[in-house]
Parts: sequence; C-alpha cells; structure tokens
Amino acid sequence: MEEQIDSVGKAFVDHYYHLFDTDRPALSSLYQPTSMLTFEGQKIQGVDDITSKLNQLPFDRCRHVISTIDSQPASVTGGIVVFVSGSIQLPGENHPLQFSQMFHLSPTLQGNLFVLNDIFRLNY
Amino acid sequence: MDPDAVAKAFVDHYYSTFDANRAGLGNLYQEGSMLTFEGQKIQGSQSIVAKLTSLPFQQCKHNITTVDCQPSGAGGVLVFVSGTLQLAGEQHALKFSQMFHLMPTPQGSFYVLNDIFRLNYA
Repeated sequence: MEEQIDSVGKAFVDHYYHLFDTDRPALSSLYQPTSMLTFEGQKIQGVDDITSKLNQLPFDRCRHVISTIDSQPASVTGGIVVFVSGSIQLPGENHPLQFSQMFHLSPTLQGNLFVLNDIFRLNY
Repeated sequence: MDPDAVAKAFVDHYYSTFDANRAGLGNLYQEGSMLTFEGQKIQGSQSIVAKLTSLPFQQCKHNITTVDCQPSGAGGVLVFVSGTLQLAGEQHALKFSQMFHLMPTPQGSFYVLNDIFRLNYA
C-alpha cells in the first residue's frame, strides 16, 4: 500500500512538472472547478482562473528540478497528499529559485486523480 | 468553519507545544495519523510522539514565516507552513517547510491526520 502511494505520488509529480515545463496550458487537465491554488499567498479558485494564473507567470520557459517527494494517503476516499521540494530555473537567471509545493489529489468519478488543493511557496 | 482561523490556532498551538513540551503533542495525533519526517515514515500517535521526543536536541524555537491553508473537503483543513527552527547552541537557524492535514474530531476540535516535515537546505 505504501509503495503504491509513493509510486502514484512520483508519477503525478513527474507528469505535473513535465507539463509545467513543456506545455503549461495543458495543466488545465489536472484541475477542476472545485480546485484551489494558493500561489505565493494569492488564493485562486477553479480550473479556469488557475490556468490563467499559471499561464500568465512572467516567464516563457522554466525548468523544475525536484529534490524531494513525500506522499501519504489522505483519506479513506482515496485522496493523496504530495509534498515536493526542489528548484525552478528561469532562463537568463543566474541562480535557480528554491520552492516547496503541496498537492492534495482527489479521485475523479472515472478513477483518475485531479488536483483539489495546490499550495506553492518559494523558499527564500 | 473558517479554515484560516483553524489553521492559525493550530499552528500557534502546535509550535508552542513543540517548543515547550514535545510530549504534549500526543493528543494532536491519533492511531491513523501519519508523519513523514525528513523522509522517514511513522504511523500512529505513540510512535510519532516517540520520534519527536527523541529528536537530538533538548530545546528549540520555531519561528513561523508563512502559513497557507485551504479546506480539503469533508471538513478537513490543509495547512502549509514555512519558517525557521533555532536549536540551542547552533549559530544558524534551520529553514523548514511542513504540511498538516487536519481532520475534525467528534468533540469539535481537529487532529493531525497527515504531517510531512522537510528541512530546506540552500
């Protein structure tokens, strides 16, 4: 059970940051109208507003490098919490930015997982 | 239920208890609670308290920089904290991030179902 949660968490993280770094608009497939994002303290609700926010971040390209992934089952209904730390490299910047992010993944009716909760913070 | 109020009250209580009397954290966890501490997985209130009280320092002080929270559905609250941890005798404070998933108890308070702690190295 434990290994399954870890592998689901890792698969999600790989997929999420790959999309973020190569096709940011496609992240909309991971959120729903009930999803919540808190991005550096700013609260955003729903797939449309979340996708807008992420697409409007002030850089065209970026590269996430993931250092740690910790996952735990979040409830009896099949939710998973995933806690990530790593760095994000922006083009033209000398030093990557350190960040931490947590996701609460919840099952869809079809049996996939979507991001119900997403909180992102840079680590200064 | 106001998630912001729940989160703030919880964070204040959690870290002041941690800094004053780590053994007192026991009643914030239950049998199904999970802690991942720097990658080590621990389950259940007893084992979690044993881990926290055996950390290799007597005294510490947490300084909280940011607290973010969101409702997780079914009455739960997710809390995401960043801050520093000053250990007695150490020159420099350690930076950390921690997330809690709080669930309501029948008595009207909250317990920690999920707890993940990571130091943030530069």
